Amino acid sequence: MKKFSGEKGFSTLFLIFILILTCGIFMNLKIKTDMIPRKKIPGSSIIYIPSGKYLKFATFGNSSIMADLIYLWAIQYYSEYTIVDRYKYLDHIFSIISELDHRYLDPYELGAIIAAYEARDLDIALNILDRGLEKNPDQWIFPYEAGHYAAMLKKDYQLAREYYKKTMEIEGAPPIAKRLYADAAFKSMDFQTSWQTWLEIYETAEDERIKKIASNHLYQVKAGMDIHTIKEAMARFKEKYGHNPEDLPRLVKAGFLDSLPKDLDEKDYIYDSTTGEVKSPTIPWKR
Amino acid sequence: MTTVLTIKDLHKSFNIGFIPKKRKILKGISLSVEQGEIFGYLGPNGAGKTTTIKCILGLILPQKGKIEIFGNPHLALKAKEKIGFLPENPYFYDHLTASEFLDFYSQLYVMDKNKKEEKIKNLLQLVGLEQSAGLQLRKFSRGMMQRIGLAQALLNDPSLVFLDEPLGGLDPVGRKEIRDIIARLKEEGKTVFLCSHILQDIEMICDRVAIIVNGKIINQGALQDLISEKTHFTEVVFSGVDPREFESLAERLSDQSGRTLLKVFEEENVQKVLELIQSKKGKLHSLIPRTETLEDLFMEVVKQK
Amino acid sequence: MKIKAIAFNTFKEALRDRVLYLILFFAAVCIIFSRLLALLTVGDPVKIIMDVGLASLSFFGALMAILMGAGLVFKEIDKKTIYTTLSKPIHRYQFLLGKFFGLVLTLFIMLLLMSLIFLVLIYFHTFKIEWEILIAILFIFLELCLITSVAMLFSCFSTPILSSLFTLSFYIIGHSVWGLEEILIQKIKPGIGKILVQIIYHILPDLENFNFKTEIVHHLSIPSTIFLYSTLYAIFYTLFILVLAMLVFRKRDFI
Repeated sequence: MKKFSGEKGFSTLFLIFILILTCGIFMNLKIKTDMIPRKKIPGSSIIYIPSGKYLKFATFGNSSIMADLIYLWAIQYYSEYTIVDRYKYLDHIFSIISELDHRYLDPYELGAIIAAYEARDLDIALNILDRGLEKNPDQWIFPYEAGHYAAMLKKDYQLAREYYKKTMEIEGAPPIAKRLYADAAFKSMDFQTSWQTWLEIYETAEDERIKKIASNHLYQVKAGMDIHTIKEAMARFKEKYGHNPEDLPRLVKAGFLDSLPKDLDEKDYIYDSTTGEVKSPTIPWKR
Repeated sequence: MTTVLTIKDLHKSFNIGFIPKKRKILKGISLSVEQGEIFGYLGPNGAGKTTTIKCILGLILPQKGKIEIFGNPHLALKAKEKIGFLPENPYFYDHLTASEFLDFYSQLYVMDKNKKEEKIKNLLQLVGLEQSAGLQLRKFSRGMMQRIGLAQALLNDPSLVFLDEPLGGLDPVGRKEIRDIIARLKEEGKTVFLCSHILQDIEMICDRVAIIVNGKIINQGALQDLISEKTHFTEVVFSGVDPREFESLAERLSDQSGRTLLKVFEEENVQKVLELIQSKKGKLHSLIPRTETLEDLFMEVVKQK
Repeated sequence: MKIKAIAFNTFKEALRDRVLYLILFFAAVCIIFSRLLALLTVGDPVKIIMDVGLASLSFFGALMAILMGAGLVFKEIDKKTIYTTLSKPIHRYQFLLGKFFGLVLTLFIMLLLMSLIFLVLIYFHTFKIEWEILIAILFIFLELCLITSVAMLFSCFSTPILSSLFTLSFYIIGHSVWGLEEILIQKIKPGIGKILVQIIYHILPDLENFNFKTEIVHHLSIPSTIFLYSTLYAIFYTLFILVLAMLVFRKRDFI
């Protein structure tokens, strides 16, 4: 073989030498390039994805896989605390996922959690859950959670009440939804509805515990209503005489009340004439 | 006469199959080709003809052996500049037109630009393709492919041309034309190394032949030598002499209308027969030495193997 | 120049190949499709056009390099055109380099065409020519050269389908080798194993060195030394593969 090699251009030995040389050089260059820090934008591109409806065309029937991928990506992306403005497209990204796969339930819940607790933007959280309900009308969990966010974080009891109402109406919703609804109604000052609902709960309750809870709440609602009435009368009294009444019966005598209301246990309400505070004689959940 | 191609003890084996199995293709080929001759390389399919040519051209690297072209090692560019090659069933870059194709190959030689265009035109004319110069090779018929192949083999005005089955797949007219071109090459002083398993081709035009069977050269030499060596018997036809007189010298084949046909085996017996006829005042009608044809020779050699 | 003759013949062959135009067509469609996506995005439309455009350039370029490179030498052997070519006074390495440069030339022209469509599209949005993009495209081209050489190396001893698969793996490895450091090397205990993995890490191709797409699109500053080192890296890696291909090719018998 050796006698041919000179005629084929380069000798094998020379080529192997070049081979080792270039290998050494590019390994060195690799080390050099590794040492140069390059700016990376973690997950920078996906927020520019157009709406999911159009993306669906581009997935050729694999839209649920795409939804999975974006969901997975989103989880990573939102746990990256170095990206300051990462919540900018939160709603958009989760709307893409829902467009790609309506029935994928986890992203709605997680999206809402991220929005509520991380981004502290309850409107986005409620938006995401609204979308969940819109696409999945049979899932009580979305309005249920939305009710929680509205009641506990947003303190918007009117809104919470609407969500709980929606929850109640969905088949399979837990009975607590109705109680939460009644409570939210109470907190949003709709005593009539709250009373009505608690009464229904009381009458249909199957075990003693629930009955007790309902009865306590009925007590609370009645107390609330009564205190409200008393306070109204007191306000008019103060308007006329310039000071708080010395005791509650005086309100009846002055004609501001037809009769002095009593609580559910036929006890009198407690009145502090110096501060003008009216309290129920018993704390409702200690009855 | 100078030797243009020398092959000495050429060996080549291939590893064939998924689990490599050594198969010997060439088992020690030695031959030499003289300048100006048409050398026929003859053998049945699979004997190693094409492998030999590929070894010479550097397409296959032999395990053992020495090949020299014009005194240079065969892989030297100096050697390659003086040779031309037409492969078996040629197939070329079919995206090119005939003239583009020749132009491309001419760039691989050191060639004057002005001379190049004229050369291409002449070659296309030589092989009868001047009408198809602008046609893409993919539209060529098999015969046309063979012709353009011959044209590219002659691009560099080679002193030594290797033709692998140049007449394969051609119609009788085509065969004659290619044969004429080969004869013309010889007239121009070129050496032609012609590879074929078709005997008539070689018989008609070759000066010298080598016969390869199973990777070994069985016989080689000038065509006349190979064949006349093997003169088996002579047929003698005469009249006017009693045939029984020749019984000791020859075999009597027939007696028809007073003429006798004898089959004489030995050379000196032919002489004796002639003398006898002369002395008996008989009349000699014909004397034909029956030599073997190349085909007989070939068949015999192959059968022996 | 014999290499030039082979290169131009390869280029001509590629130009008369219908597959090339099919890929080019799809690439053009993709680049123009980015305009459509930009309509639907929330945010900067130019960003989408650049992203999709550069991705198409890189993806379809790699597709061309792999598909055409994988058949580069094999097709010559399969169609027996190599017999006559190599019987001419030409060294085998010249033939190989000619084929390589022919395909590189083809890829260059194709990339040029795609870039033109791309730049014009961006021009209609920003009303200025984004020269920076050309840097990203230049490095895409360097990457394609490397991929071509790898495809050709495999093409020297295996069929186009296998070569394509091998080259594709090279491409995938090249774009994910950075994970090796982050995931593996940091977790291995010091010792022979670690050194071995580190050597492998440095030998494996790092195609991310040629990926400046994100930086360019976001107008991030790039240290200029990395341009130099990445270019040299591309050149020497390609050279390495080419020499390897020569070594394989020179021993080959063309049966």
